[in-house]
Amino acid sequence: MIKHMKEIILPGKLVANEPKKIPGCYIEDGKTYASTVCMSGEDYVVPLKGVYIPKTGDLVVGIIKEERFNGYVIELNSPYDGQLSTRDSREELKMGDVIYAKILAVDETKEATIVDPRRLWGGEMMEIEHVKVPRVIGKNSSMLGLIRDATNTTLFVGRNGYVYLKGEDTALAVEAILRICRESHVPGLTERISQMLREQSKVKTPAQAGKNEQEEQVSKEQTVNTRYG
Amino acid sequence: MVEKEDLLKDGKRRDGRGLTDLRPLRINAGVLKKANGSALVEWGKNKVLAGVYGPREVFPKHMTDPYRAIIAARYIMAPFSGIEEHGRSGPNRRSTEISKVVKNVFQNAILTDQFPGTMIEIQMEVLQSDGGTRVAAITAAAVALADAGIPMRDIPVGLSAGKVNGEILIDLDKYEDNLGQSDMPTVILPRTGEILLSQLDGMLTREEISKAFDLILEHSKIVSEKQEAALIERYRKVSEEIGEGEANDSG
Repeated sequence: MIKHMKEIILPGKLVANEPKKIPGCYIEDGKTYASTVCMSGEDYVVPLKGVYIPKTGDLVVGIIKEERFNGYVIELNSPYDGQLSTRDSREELKMGDVIYAKILAVDETKEATIVDPRRLWGGEMMEIEHVKVPRVIGKNSSMLGLIRDATNTTLFVGRNGYVYLKGEDTALAVEAILRICRESHVPGLTERISQMLREQSKVKTPAQAGKNEQEEQVSKEQTVNTRYG
Repeated sequence: MVEKEDLLKDGKRRDGRGLTDLRPLRINAGVLKKANGSALVEWGKNKVLAGVYGPREVFPKHMTDPYRAIIAARYIMAPFSGIEEHGRSGPNRRSTEISKVVKNVFQNAILTDQFPGTMIEIQMEVLQSDGGTRVAAITAAAVALADAGIPMRDIPVGLSAGKVNGEILIDLDKYEDNLGQSDMPTVILPRTGEILLSQLDGMLTREEISKAFDLILEHSKIVSEKQEAALIERYRKVSEEIGEGEANDSG
């Protein structure tokens, strides 16, 4: 039995007969057309591919690309880099350090000003497509909670598509995240992932939700930006 | 040696095609692991591999356009790609010209204003050639761009028409191109029918050009469908795998 798949919408296909500002779409002659590969979503379409452009208020995971006398250049999985001033950074950072931070503002050249950096260490990092980030987080960070409990891992999911993992069974967490990205267009994703985690989880006593207050705070802030469940 | 008279016999071409039949076309998307988007087009004996990288930092930096993304296209025929001697595959007159026209095609298809100050790189390698490689390369590059998630107005379709022994044909191969009277590679946007590229080698009358365009517009639908199928195939495969896995579980 072949499972039902959501409809894939390709560039140039009509999405709406009226001008609508939807991610992955463009407006021409008062109508809305898809500009990237999308799938049918709750309201209109959800892009399946895309390039990350820094946006004000986004929480991101970045890598220190360059040190300057007055700050750092941050690589954000995007064609545009971020700028972090030493004034906004409590600790001294080095090239190659991974930080979890917030985008304060984006200027007209799309360069992002980054504040509130938090250095992440002792874990590992992975890269996913930034359009899949809402799926990895899930509604009210349900998916994130699922992975965290089954693998006892602390997860930092940046809106730019960088994910930082630290904890017990990160290999399973990575596998789960990659599977979410691969299968997000097939309905029943949450059941499949929770089944997979149940079967493969090696954690004896699942970490209780809310054990780490700071981490909870992080996922709450992230859900503010979650547009697609 | 192929003679001019062999090209058309009783309404059939050398390879048995009718006047308006395309060569068998196969497109695969996402064939390169490290590229942002990629596609392999096998169109008759043509084999073209396209890879897309970016948008990324502009190099050389002085080429930066603060209002839109610039496009760097590179079309190269591999030294082993054809029957004739191609020599080294570095930039030559032909590849410079085709790279330039490809760049112009995609400047009008990609929504470049969404990525000011960046560069989108399109690489096209002709691995095997048999006439009509520039339209095959553009067809491949279009799929690779969609695969990379670069916003486009539509997926461009390339197709060539031409005149051989007084007849208007579509999708010319090497001998029809070389020994025929005329060759017209064209790229269109299927949704609006906009023409992004139309080059003409040889001579055609007004009526012949109009007939050739009609043929191209009509047959571009076939190419367009293959492009779309290639892009959807990646997602369909995943959902099929899931379906099979669940069937095995229950059985």
